[in-house]
Amino acid sequence: MASQGMHSPVEQFEIKSIIELSAGGYDISFTNSSLFMLLAMVVGGVFLASAMSKREMVPGRMQGAAEMMYEFVADMVRSNVGNDGRAYFPFVFTLFVFLLFGNMLGLIPYSYTFTSQIIVTFAMAAFVFVGVTLIGLVRHGLHFFSFFVPQGAPKVLIPFLIIIEVISYFVRPVSLSVRLFANMLAGHTMLKVFAGLAVMISGAGGIAMTGSVLPFLALVGLTGLEVLVAALQAYVFTILTCMYLNDALHLH
Amino acid sequence: MTRVNRTVSATAAGIAVLMTASTAMAASGEAGLPQLKIETWPSQIFWLVVIFGVGYIFMERVVTPRIGTVLEERRTRLDDDLTRAREASSEAAQTRADYEASLDAARNEAAEFARNAAADAAAKADKEGAKAAKKMATKIAAAETKLAAARSEAEGNIVAVAAEAAIDAAQQLAGVKATKAQAEKAVKSAAAQGAG
Repeated sequence: MASQGMHSPVEQFEIKSIIELSAGGYDISFTNSSLFMLLAMVVGGVFLASAMSKREMVPGRMQGAAEMMYEFVADMVRSNVGNDGRAYFPFVFTLFVFLLFGNMLGLIPYSYTFTSQIIVTFAMAAFVFVGVTLIGLVRHGLHFFSFFVPQGAPKVLIPFLIIIEVISYFVRPVSLSVRLFANMLAGHTMLKVFAGLAVMISGAGGIAMTGSVLPFLALVGLTGLEVLVAALQAYVFTILTCMYLNDALHLH
Repeated sequence: MTRVNRTVSATAAGIAVLMTASTAMAASGEAGLPQLKIETWPSQIFWLVVIFGVGYIFMERVVTPRIGTVLEERRTRLDDDLTRAREASSEAAQTRADYEASLDAARNEAAEFARNAAADAAAKADKEGAKAAKKMATKIAAAETKLAAARSEAEGNIVAVAAEAAIDAAQQLAGVKATKAQAEKAVKSAAAQGAG
């Protein structure tokens, strides 16, 4: 499908260095990916902080939106983790805001979606995984390992179930990161394919140009879908973090 | 088990996307997915840690306490207002109850007063009536006695007159000389027969 003049649909994921930096032999340049991480955090943080600057008793639109986000995450933590989860609320909230703004800003044309980088999603998932495991170990000591023994299972099956539970536990960071990464990769690739198609057909000239209306309409619909996916995947990543945290705190 | 299945299927789907994308790229002569260029990873991890770390501190120190206190203040304020409204409402109910109680008391008092007045009036009327009736009865009795006396006197006179008339009639008609006592007896029996 890739023809002359049509950009590769995955070219959009290319990392481009903005400020060259290196430390200890590693390239730590500030790139387009870093820029949008920064933008997501700054836009999210500034929006929330400025929306709350008046601290009104009866909130306006902006403050209402900020409070809604706060309560949304607070309810998520409360219902999935319980009262023990309060201490981890700022982390979960930061995670949600970062992912939501990252995904949403990534949908703006010419912007960059850092959540489409497997290394970024994997680093976050691995941090959650390691953090949650440490919390479980600190809180329950060796009793933490009873998490891998299913309750009420027939004795014969227990060794197999332990193997399955251990595998499923260690697959968590992989599934958590791949889910977000794959959704972003697939969505943005698809948008680019349809956009490229529309441009390619319109380049044909004459009456054939009108054919580009079809991929363009599909692009409009897909963009709407991607807005949904962006919000949904931020939510899914966050709620799974809450569930893993709950498992570590309460062991089933 | 469902958790395992979900996890495995999500992972499989992700790997499938990765593989398809990279084979597609390889087939079209490209260098593969930019995401798999390991040389870009240290920079991304570094900036993720820095930005997320600073962002976390900002959210933890500034944003979440600010929103939290506003929500907390609002909840307290609402609770206060509700408590005050509830107090005012119960106060109003109390006032109303008091008012109704006093109204009832006044009504009862008035009713009792009216009842007493009626009873007094009735008692007075009864007393007067009885007095009047007694007076009347005395008068009637006196009149009746008088009447009875007048009647018996009149009856006595009639008998005497009739007896004289009978004596005269007997002497002139039959030449019989009757005594006064005989004549009176005859008149009385005739009167009794006539009356009978």
